[in-house]
Amino acid sequence: MRRPVLAWAVIGALLVVVLTPFYWMVNTSLKTSAQVQSLEPYYYPRPLTLRNYVELLTATRFPVWIRNSATVALGATLVTVVVSCLAGYSLTRIRYPGRRLLATTVLIVYLVPPTLLFIPLYTILNGLGLSNTLWALLVAYPTFTVPFCTWLLMGFFRSIPPDLEDAAMVDGANRIQAFRRVILPLAAPGVLAAGLFAFTLAWNEFLYALVFVHDTELKTVPVGLNDLMFGDIFLWGQLMAASVLTTVPVVVLYTYLQRYMVEGLTAGAVKG
Amino acid sequence: MDAVKVSSPTVGARPSAVRRVLTADAWVGYLFILPLVVLVLALVGYPLVSAVYVSLTEKYVGYPARFVGLKNYADLSRDPVFHKVVWNSALFTVASVAVKLVIGLVLALSLHRALAARRLVRGILLLPWVVPTVITALTWHWMFDALHGFINVSLESVGLIAEPIAWLGQPAPAMMAVITVNIWRGFPFFGVSLLAGLQAIPRDLYEAAAVDGASPAQRFRHVTLPGLRPVILVTTLISTIFTLNDFNIVYVMTRGGPGIATHVLATYTYETGFQALRWGKAVAVSMYLMPLVALLIVILARHLTRED
Repeated sequence: MRRPVLAWAVIGALLVVVLTPFYWMVNTSLKTSAQVQSLEPYYYPRPLTLRNYVELLTATRFPVWIRNSATVALGATLVTVVVSCLAGYSLTRIRYPGRRLLATTVLIVYLVPPTLLFIPLYTILNGLGLSNTLWALLVAYPTFTVPFCTWLLMGFFRSIPPDLEDAAMVDGANRIQAFRRVILPLAAPGVLAAGLFAFTLAWNEFLYALVFVHDTELKTVPVGLNDLMFGDIFLWGQLMAASVLTTVPVVVLYTYLQRYMVEGLTAGAVKG
Repeated sequence: MDAVKVSSPTVGARPSAVRRVLTADAWVGYLFILPLVVLVLALVGYPLVSAVYVSLTEKYVGYPARFVGLKNYADLSRDPVFHKVVWNSALFTVASVAVKLVIGLVLALSLHRALAARRLVRGILLLPWVVPTVITALTWHWMFDALHGFINVSLESVGLIAEPIAWLGQPAPAMMAVITVNIWRGFPFFGVSLLAGLQAIPRDLYEAAAVDGASPAQRFRHVTLPGLRPVILVTTLISTIFTLNDFNIVYVMTRGGPGIATHVLATYTYETGFQALRWGKAVAVSMYLMPLVALLIVILARHLTRED
């Protein structure tokens, strides 16, 4: 088959399915509440209004939630990058007893579902006096960001030729210097990708944020929006405006991350 | 390998038994992995162990725990509500994963064929996978809205339905809705993983099959499918683990309702723990998942850590 008509038809149909919710999200966010509540279908807003955005940013706690989300995500990213870089390097470049077991553990921990963890974790955080603070999330998020990023970084470190650091060490550098001066600069794109992934994972997290934090002033965006939804049924315009604003940063980060995305977890299987 | 040799002179100076096995380099290795080990032990290992204990107690929030042995498990095993929740979880997971796999496979084959489309389209098609799940669920909740939602409004305007359908207000449509959203969110992951798998199948296998006179269908069955097997297995396992534990979509769209029609193990655990405040029972609910999740993780870990 020279012209893959069927393939294009399938792709076209799936594109429509994928894009429709985004279209409806943006469309609703730009409507007046009269249009949102109208029984007549408004497939595009007429007139177009930014009132939902203005109200969201001035009359709700949304700006505070954004700040909380950003604080927690940045903090968790910082912790994650440091811990994952050290661990990823150790697991791929240094030989010692127990290394393979530890590498498998990283993978297993990544797959342990939060559903199993959230109640016992809550007890621990409560005991530490951290429940209902942003610290609780800062402590909890590395439980899933670190294993994921470590796994990702292991792939990056493996792809850097060992000769480079060997040469550095023959020249008198010790292991830690070789790591800092030779390997880290070379792995920089990978480290950046890992950091952005950590940020996205933390930014999107819902269950822990829902359980560990109760104060409206301390909520992250996903939890805050969920409250907004059940508060008043007619806030869809604002909710969709908030959805647009929350989605944009993730999509921007993701355009950079795209090429690393699949490699992370499936590379092993493709190669094997 | 070489690194060990390079750093061994420092070790040679102190020939104790341990030192001979553990080079200075190995100590740096342990030092570097230490933060991760501490994190895992304190925030994953210990909670999991303590979860086992909590599930053996009658623990109401704010009161000390009372050891009751396997009572929570026994009570649950006779509880029709729990049976329904288990059934919902199974339906939600099996239906979602099966459809995601089929759509993902069709998508991967299409992208593989339509070369020109691949890069741009792949980026767009992955969008559902990167959007925060709560936003996805929120948007679909609004699209499924009975009076003003996109779905009813559109179906009515083209005359497919006469009356609005209360999608999230009735048991079967609500279950269908949450499964739909899970599929929407997850099929791109399947599509892109399987595409990577397709690209890894050597071309000469297809050429050899064509020379031997194999039809396209035979080539698919005897070359494509076997070649994709490892990727299909890994992707399906990962997706099953995450779908089985999905909380966000159901919680945001239906809160498990109407009644308990869409409650899955994750949302039921949350409700038992944080609405009914019965922690022992709540943890026991999630513990019922442990053996299955553990099995899936072990199979997956074997496949992913296999040396090439």
